[in-house]
Amino acid sequence: MKKPLALAISAAALAFTSAAMADDPKEGGVVNTIIQPEPPGLVLGMIQNAPTRTVAGNIYEGLLRYTTDLEPMPQLAESWEVSEDGRTYTFHLREGVTWHDGEAFTADDVVFSADVFHRELNPSARAVLQHVESIEATDDHTVVFTLTQPFGPFLLSFEAGTFTMVPEHLYAGTDFRDNEHNDHPIGTGPFKFSNWERGTVIELVKNEEYYEEGLPYLDGVNWHIIPDGASRAVAFENETIDVLPSGTVENFDIPRLAEMDNVCMTEEGHEYFSPFAMLWMNNREGPTADKRFRQAVMYAMDREFAKDVLWNGLGNVPLSAFGSNARFQNDDLEPYDHNPERARELLDEMGYDGEEITILPLPYGETWTRWAEAVQQNLREVGINVETQATDVGGWNQRLGDWDYDLAFTYLYQYGDPALGISRTYLSDNIAKGSPWNNVEGYENERVDELFNEAATAFPDEEREKLYREVQEILHEDVPVGWLMELGFPTLYRCDVQNLVTSGVGVNDGFKDAWLDR
Amino acid sequence: MVYARLILMRLFKAVIVLFLIVIFNFLLIQLAPGDPAAILAGEAGAADQEFLNQLRERFGLDQPMYVQLWRYVSGIAMLDFGYSYRLGVPVFDLIMDRLPATLLLTGTAFVLSLVLGIVAGSMAAARVKKPSGSLIMALALVFYATPLFWVALMSVVVFSVYLGWLPAYGLYTVGAGHTGFALVLDVAKHLVLPATTLALFFMAIYTRMTRTSMLDAAQQDYVKTARAKGLKPSIIQRRHVLRNALLPIITLAGLQAGQMVGGAILTETVFAWPGIGRLMFEALQQRDYNLLLGIFFFSAALVIVFNIITDLVYSLADPRIKKGAA
Amino acid sequence: MSFFARFAQNRGALVGLIILLLIIAMAILAPLLFPESPWRMVQRPFLPPLSQDGFPLGTDTMGRNVASGLMHGAWVSLLIGLVSTSVALLIGVPLGAIAGYYGGIIDDVLMRFTEFFQTIPNFALAIVLVAIMQPSITSIVLAIAIVSWPPVARLVRAEFMSLRNREYVEAARLVGQSNSTIILRQILPNTLSPIIVLASLMVATAILLESALSFLGLGDPNVMSWGYMIGAARTVIRQAWWLSFFPGVAILLTVLALNLVGEGLDDALNPKLSRER
Repeated sequence: MKKPLALAISAAALAFTSAAMADDPKEGGVVNTIIQPEPPGLVLGMIQNAPTRTVAGNIYEGLLRYTTDLEPMPQLAESWEVSEDGRTYTFHLREGVTWHDGEAFTADDVVFSADVFHRELNPSARAVLQHVESIEATDDHTVVFTLTQPFGPFLLSFEAGTFTMVPEHLYAGTDFRDNEHNDHPIGTGPFKFSNWERGTVIELVKNEEYYEEGLPYLDGVNWHIIPDGASRAVAFENETIDVLPSGTVENFDIPRLAEMDNVCMTEEGHEYFSPFAMLWMNNREGPTADKRFRQAVMYAMDREFAKDVLWNGLGNVPLSAFGSNARFQNDDLEPYDHNPERARELLDEMGYDGEEITILPLPYGETWTRWAEAVQQNLREVGINVETQATDVGGWNQRLGDWDYDLAFTYLYQYGDPALGISRTYLSDNIAKGSPWNNVEGYENERVDELFNEAATAFPDEEREKLYREVQEILHEDVPVGWLMELGFPTLYRCDVQNLVTSGVGVNDGFKDAWLDR
Repeated sequence: MVYARLILMRLFKAVIVLFLIVIFNFLLIQLAPGDPAAILAGEAGAADQEFLNQLRERFGLDQPMYVQLWRYVSGIAMLDFGYSYRLGVPVFDLIMDRLPATLLLTGTAFVLSLVLGIVAGSMAAARVKKPSGSLIMALALVFYATPLFWVALMSVVVFSVYLGWLPAYGLYTVGAGHTGFALVLDVAKHLVLPATTLALFFMAIYTRMTRTSMLDAAQQDYVKTARAKGLKPSIIQRRHVLRNALLPIITLAGLQAGQMVGGAILTETVFAWPGIGRLMFEALQQRDYNLLLGIFFFSAALVIVFNIITDLVYSLADPRIKKGAA
Repeated sequence: MSFFARFAQNRGALVGLIILLLIIAMAILAPLLFPESPWRMVQRPFLPPLSQDGFPLGTDTMGRNVASGLMHGAWVSLLIGLVSTSVALLIGVPLGAIAGYYGGIIDDVLMRFTEFFQTIPNFALAIVLVAIMQPSITSIVLAIAIVSWPPVARLVRAEFMSLRNREYVEAARLVGQSNSTIILRQILPNTLSPIIVLASLMVATAILLESALSFLGLGDPNVMSWGYMIGAARTVIRQAWWLSFFPGVAILLTVLALNLVGEGLDDALNPKLSRER
């Protein structure tokens, strides 16, 4: 019959066109999201806090961006070359880029930002600059970095937070911290700073002169500040908020929110940081100084339970010291499964006499408190006498800095390349009082030092792989720290916010490509 | 005038007390473990010695103790309460920003508790041998014994989650963009639960006090005189008994000011109310010394101001003082 | 009338006493009924009450037995209440006695000192003290004691001021007894009644303070108190309201009982004439 056929054809045509239309980004709209806690400031590089990186990553840019596989993508640098010996990096900058105040972006800005601005203000940048011999602008759009020796992860260091490009014409020769432009950040990014009502909202608006045609699609992004976790969940539920970046909502609320209509969830967007939760174990004194005790702790913990009950099944139980996002991971190692029997055997073997040890939870919220309780129970069940000591951020920092602990929770960013985020935990020359972020456990192994140092500057990658495989074998046996979990930091958002996560840093620069399907 | 002298003397005392509080607070906080520079650096995720030193210099943390104290005290005299490390905003601004919310909450709770407490107490006094009187007193006792934060949580469960009548958190509906009268209504809706739960405890106190006070006052001579004069009982209740019964309540109200500020901390925490109580707890968690000291100071100052006001009201209300008899 | 007869006349006090005895029984029976630590994660999380044998009140966010926590928590609350009140008395009684007995400058100084402590909002002070000393049973007890002693001092001072001029005190002085002996042997025993009444009310307040501190996360992490249970349940109140409900009822009943008993003690120890109760 004619009619049904006609109907079928028109239905098909309709479906086809709407499917095609769904892929066409729409312009316009403002996305409402949340930033928690309120950033202390927005000049990226001067301030390295996570909230600043999140908001300001949309105002400022770095030379490169990174995919979720941590492959570099062009941003302010259009293309680049690495010399044969791995010591010279030449970046060709994009032409026609302007700062938000109209001035042109040139190689002088790059040299100033890297060599002067960040050298003075940014510890992570300084760590990278150690390997750099010189930075030169050979013309208006070309910058050459010459290294003292090959440094494998060098290309990974150009994310907006580490080497933010800041305007030389506004900052050169001034006292950076007191510069009048700090209240109104000027960057090259897809969004311009518009307004900051302290305690309420930070408003960003579209950069009409952005160098990428058609981008950004959005008219603006509003970062709301709502101090209470429960209120944030409510705001998302009643649709005043469209995007909940990770960490803005308690884990216990996530399953409920994720099940709502028109709500999508992604775990992507943290590959660059690769947050990794660990248990510091004091290698210097007490029962934890014995390798067998540390192995026993690994066997005693039920990490899958923690993942399921506390983290909603998100994240990943790590095999060993290198997370699954880290380059050169050795996955041939014997896992430390939940095995209380084996734990007891090890404790007997070393002759553990029941000496009481303390555990220091991470004072970052409910989930971490519950986690400490769970681990404490796990340990008690194999006969380890453990007491929790409550502390706040100040006390936690101080005790770790003073090495006054037995077991302590923490989490660090692995930054993808072992030379950037992993080696710092195990190198013996990174042992220094006063910091909770270096080699706090006091692990000293000459061979491990050798391997890490060689691998950082080895060339090419195959060489590095060999060295890193060996170091992981040693670490896996010695268990200098407990490897708790690769944290899954989900981002919740309304499904009509498309294309939100397009890089390894997620919403930190994601709004550039995002569009609203409304 | 009697009042002027009264106020001046109290103000003088207040200044001394506040000064002592400043010193006391400062010493207290110095005992706290934790180097603020390390915490700030820690937040940044990667710190080296140079960065820590820069932080210390910037915030004056490397100066000897007496220098820090002198800077602090002389600053306060000029209304400079220092700079909040974490938030990068002057402490005074932060407190002024959040103070109105707390004043709104505690003010409403105070009036509510006083009015309802006095009414309930008078009713209980009037029905002293009847079961309804005992019921009122029993309820008062129960409210007195109930933990404030628990009743706040339960009210959220009942009125917000299950019944959906009232909002659970915050001062106003975020992102809704209300203005003018709509905003007033929105805030009022958000105010109901926090103010009521905060008021409950004090309502109980005032109910009990009012009842006792009125029963006592009813025994006094001037009441017997009034009765002998043939005045109507209701007029006696209102003009003589109530008026005089109110005096100890006013004194009590003054004493409760400190409690109410403490209660505000709990209420503001449960209901995410953006006041100084909540700010204080956040400051504590982050070891934001300047902010913490500032809030401490302000809450004590609030209590003192409130006490001066209640003293004034008392002397206005007390007929004996009016007549010039000391 | 005997002490107990006067006490029993106040029916509210009797009710209070019964409730209190029940709570004490809970504390004593806890290790018998629930021998395992309440921290043990023994079941699926978020079991509702009465859904499974052995878990009459359900389980919490980590699968711990709520009933076990509730019963073990009784012991914690009573202990902290009693000890902090005792310490507060140890501070307040001597201060009040000295101020009231000697009067003059000593009294002035001590009273300014007491007033100072009464001006600072006491819960805020408790928070700061516990945070500075890091949360543990010791720091909580000390903090509660430090914010609670002023009313004791005031009461004792008032009592001493009214009693110091009595004849038996004069007589003792004439006989040559030292001041400290007079304070301790002559006057103090006569002030015990109001102190005891105040103490019972202070235990109630101490329990409320401790639960508020634990609720805010400032409790001892090795101790499962009722306040802790309510605080831990705050973030999941929508899914599991019962986790906050039962410990709160427990606190309410304990504090109520203590207040009723306190009033009963007041009646029994300080009989007043022609009281229209």
